[in-house]
Amino acid sequence: MEERETARREIDLQPLRRILEERYRPRDHQEAQELVVGACQEAQHLYGWVPPQAAQLIAEHLGVTINRVYGLLTFYADFRTEPPGEHFLWLCHGAACYIAGSQKVVDALRTEYRLGEDGTTSDGLLTVHVFDGCLGACDLAPVAQLDHHEYIGQLDANRLRELVEELRACRRVGSNDETIE
Amino acid sequence: MKRLSDRAAFEQYAAEARARWERLWSEDQWVISVGISGCSIAKGALETYRNLSLHLSEGHIPAVLRQVGCGGWCFAEPFVEVKLPGHPPIVYGWMTTDRVPELLDALRRGDLRPDWALGVRAAGAWHGIPPLTEHPFLRRQRRLLLEHAGIIDPESIEDFIAIGGYRAFLKALFEMTPEEVIAEVKASNLRGRGGAGFPTGIKWESGRRTPARPKYVVVNSHEGEPNVFKDRRLLESNPHLVLEGLLIGCYALETPCGYNYIGGEHALALQRFQRAVEQAYELGLLGDDILGSGFSCHVRIRTGGGAYICGEGSALMYAIMGQRGQPRTKPPRSVEEGLWRRPTVLNNTETFASIPAIIQNGGSWYASLGTKESTGTKLVTMQGPVKYLGVAEIEFGLSMRELIFDVFGGLREGYRLKGIQTGGVSAGPLREDELDVPIDFEALTPLGAMVGSGGFVAFDESVCAVDFARYLVAFSRYESCGKCTPCRLGTPALVEILDRIRHGFGRPEDLDIIQYASKHIIELSLCGLGQVAPMPLLGMLERFRDEFIEHITERRCRAGVCPIAAGEPLSVGR
Repeated sequence: MEERETARREIDLQPLRRILEERYRPRDHQEAQELVVGACQEAQHLYGWVPPQAAQLIAEHLGVTINRVYGLLTFYADFRTEPPGEHFLWLCHGAACYIAGSQKVVDALRTEYRLGEDGTTSDGLLTVHVFDGCLGACDLAPVAQLDHHEYIGQLDANRLRELVEELRACRRVGSNDETIE
Repeated sequence: MKRLSDRAAFEQYAAEARARWERLWSEDQWVISVGISGCSIAKGALETYRNLSLHLSEGHIPAVLRQVGCGGWCFAEPFVEVKLPGHPPIVYGWMTTDRVPELLDALRRGDLRPDWALGVRAAGAWHGIPPLTEHPFLRRQRRLLLEHAGIIDPESIEDFIAIGGYRAFLKALFEMTPEEVIAEVKASNLRGRGGAGFPTGIKWESGRRTPARPKYVVVNSHEGEPNVFKDRRLLESNPHLVLEGLLIGCYALETPCGYNYIGGEHALALQRFQRAVEQAYELGLLGDDILGSGFSCHVRIRTGGGAYICGEGSALMYAIMGQRGQPRTKPPRSVEEGLWRRPTVLNNTETFASIPAIIQNGGSWYASLGTKESTGTKLVTMQGPVKYLGVAEIEFGLSMRELIFDVFGGLREGYRLKGIQTGGVSAGPLREDELDVPIDFEALTPLGAMVGSGGFVAFDESVCAVDFARYLVAFSRYESCGKCTPCRLGTPALVEILDRIRHGFGRPEDLDIIQYASKHIIELSLCGLGQVAPMPLLGMLERFRDEFIEHITERRCRAGVCPIAAGEPLSVGR
């Protein structure tokens, strides 16, 4: 939980500013409006969420109102306006995954891990995003993607439990290492 | 890369690219290609690639290691294609890292491992390995768009030009007037591949007729349905083909403004299309005064952030304009007033990718493929427990039964087919006994089914019709943009009724309420998505009515999926 509070306070806007100055240089107001979503995606890519400071910077850089930026951030399912947990799980709930039983995995997540409004476990370990589209890896259904790169296929409630335990164990080992140093 | 200044320079570049391509395959070296695409990465293709690279250098094997796109055979990912000196290329499936050293050792011994081979890229069998085109998954396919998928490097414009890419664009640019281009597209009777099936040529013509300027040509690569993944495979495997189609579209509309709107969650497709655009700019196939023809074209890429509604035409345009992607009433149609209130031609990715072949071979050639009213080929994806899962390209007119049992190999052992959900979330299912219907835009309609964007879901007896209907309607509920009331309030009402039935609190009159509420949603919703949201439910209800009644009167779910079976109390969840 503390990490998330720190994440909320300490945002280094410099990298975002650099990206905006390099790649987000609209020729006119029309193009500026077209670039808002892309700029927000850059911010989310950098920070894992779109902090208010970053939203403000984007609005100022592109000459649009902050309302416009938040209008988009709250419209699209992919954007987060709260810091995510340490790990991010994208749980595919496409038709192939549904047929293979992803509903049970979704239910297990909700009941066992008491996810908050933003899909984060109460200990801040994991943020889960149930993805309504299709991850396109249907051969692995039900499938999830961990931290944007690792795929876990043939998922069921048990495999999910193991996964969460693994992540917890790594976290414990990680913090021990820090104390040794 | 040097910017090409005229057509002769392009021809020279193409000749060199072709020569290099032929040398690659004829020289005395190993050529190993690894399919790297969204689905294969999920199954470890990047590790396979790294592992191959390591073992090749350790074993001092003089080899060219390449990346290619997706061949469509998701079931056999990761796949590796090996071309040994003196042999035709052989495609190996299921090439996980642990098999890499074993395969290389075997090949060095002269053992071609026919047991791991999917097929050989040759006309006849080779050392006991049958031709790839004879594989059951590929035998009934007709590949135009996927012809070079899994063969060329999607991140190399040179590969694309070597196999004849951008020829159609040059033909249009230098040998045809925009009117002639549109005439060919009209003659081909190509219909929109995004779902609605509107004739592309007519759309282009009306866009051309509208006098206002500037005009926009937009590719719809949003693809947000829960059971479709064909467009992103196409963009991952052959992005230049889509770009070439877009360029021809811009030329036909005589506009320098092209867009591609790609769903933000399709990261690799986005990255590869971006790369394609950059390369086309570097080579001078995009930009001002292309190859000295006087025609200029600029392509911009925009992305969304996971809102299904943005696949709807007017919503997509609002999304590009940096507004919330919510549809508006029509008319005016977008060919009159679209992006930035200017004439806009919007077509699906697959539609644009079909254009180069039409220009190259003529509209009447294309019209000879498929059926009379649904010409050409269609990319289809099949999900569920089928044997050969993947993306296939078929000629229209193939029957649904042939598609499932021939192309996709039928259901895996231990599964019995109950039905096929068609048209993404926009249409109803077909029962097992209705599968002899040809796949085209018209034939499926009387059955309440639809080709749509080509996403089909095969489901078996373990799936409950009520629960599946709820899943499909719940998707529409969650993805409703909330602008118009019938959809915003109607879809949650349907989900609520279905939940009641699933939990054993259903009443006989609920089925009438479903019909009544659905009628309202269909007739009163603002956009196409609301208008079709109840379709899967109505289809399920018509096909599997006895299951609904069983839930209500006997409080029994024969598939054992619904909470009634577990005796769980009613709770409202997602």
